[in-house]
Amino acid sequence: MINELLLQFARWLEVQEYSQMLLAGYYSYNWLEATHVLTLMVSIGSLFIIDFRMLGLILPNVSATAIADRLHKPMIIGFVIMFITGFLLVYAKPVETIQSLWFRIKMILLLMAFINAWIFNARMRAAEGSWDNDRIAPKNLRIGAIISLVLWCGVVTMGRYIPYDWVDCANTTNTAILWAAGCVDQLNAL
Amino acid sequence: MFSTLLGQYSRSFTVLLVAIVVVLLEVFGVRSAIYPGLLPYFEWIKYSSWIGIIGTTYGSIYATVEAAHLLSMATIGGLVLATDLRLLGVLLRDVPSETVTRGTHKAFSIALTVAILTGIFCAAGVGDKVYYMEVFWIKMLVLLTGACFMYFIKQPLLNSKPHSEINPWLIRLLAVTSILIWFTVAATGRWIGFS
Repeated sequence: MINELLLQFARWLEVQEYSQMLLAGYYSYNWLEATHVLTLMVSIGSLFIIDFRMLGLILPNVSATAIADRLHKPMIIGFVIMFITGFLLVYAKPVETIQSLWFRIKMILLLMAFINAWIFNARMRAAEGSWDNDRIAPKNLRIGAIISLVLWCGVVTMGRYIPYDWVDCANTTNTAILWAAGCVDQLNAL
Repeated sequence: MFSTLLGQYSRSFTVLLVAIVVVLLEVFGVRSAIYPGLLPYFEWIKYSSWIGIIGTTYGSIYATVEAAHLLSMATIGGLVLATDLRLLGVLLRDVPSETVTRGTHKAFSIALTVAILTGIFCAAGVGDKVYYMEVFWIKMLVLLTGACFMYFIKQPLLNSKPHSEINPWLIRLLAVTSILIWFTVAATGRWIGFS
């Protein structure tokens, strides 16, 4: 049911004038993609510094919350640009993207990463003061940092997989993959 | 006096000398004479080396290494921005800039090593393609410039004395140059993907 709705929505997006314009303009799509990828350096780059500091791998003699606070703004700016460009990339190729298994896994990982960031932030605020200048953060924050690193590595890897067609709807007959990727037409044809 | 000056700035003079040699090689056509001879190596790395064979045979491994390359570049970008924006007085202003430059250098070196190793693997998989790409050679040149700049100019200078004793405009110049160099490395990498 949800796959049918998503496909319907994607097909509606696909016929929108701006969607077709974005895809037809060779440079517009490439510029969007380039901005999306290059902003990784600001968003994930800043996030990794915060996570590495929590693990004591970087700047161990600097207050951990100071690093997290000071890098929060550039990180958020980076993520906002990534989301806007990411949304436009999906908007330019809605059907292909929504029926990509990798895109779907990426979205799940993204959601998990945000839940983890929210929990991590709440725990960091609750623990503020007692551990700030320690070389290594408390265990629960270290676990949060490791989960964050793993999830974001997963998000980037899934993003890198999206252009590859190994498990595209047209290239697989595996029912589980077809269902997970939302290949409605191929499932109906089986 | 000359030897004292040379001793103090020996690394900077070495980099300048290398730059002059590169320009002379270009002017006298040495690079264009060497270039055709490099093609067999690029073909060998794609078709005969184990990294080239893995890269061309297993698409999933190639894509995973590409992701690792992107992640290492993102780490480099984050470290460069944090350090250079601190030098420019934009970020982490309450942390001494000496602490930031020293504290991020090791991580930068590790990320750069990972980026180079994964980059070699990625280039090996498309060796015969990148050989003909002007942008690939630009990226290699900028990468080499960036590494030389970091290890022979920026870091030695910033480690030589307290930053308060260095001309603030020189520090700003170092930071802006560093950001521009590493942004160019990342942007040319993306450009390779489009070509």
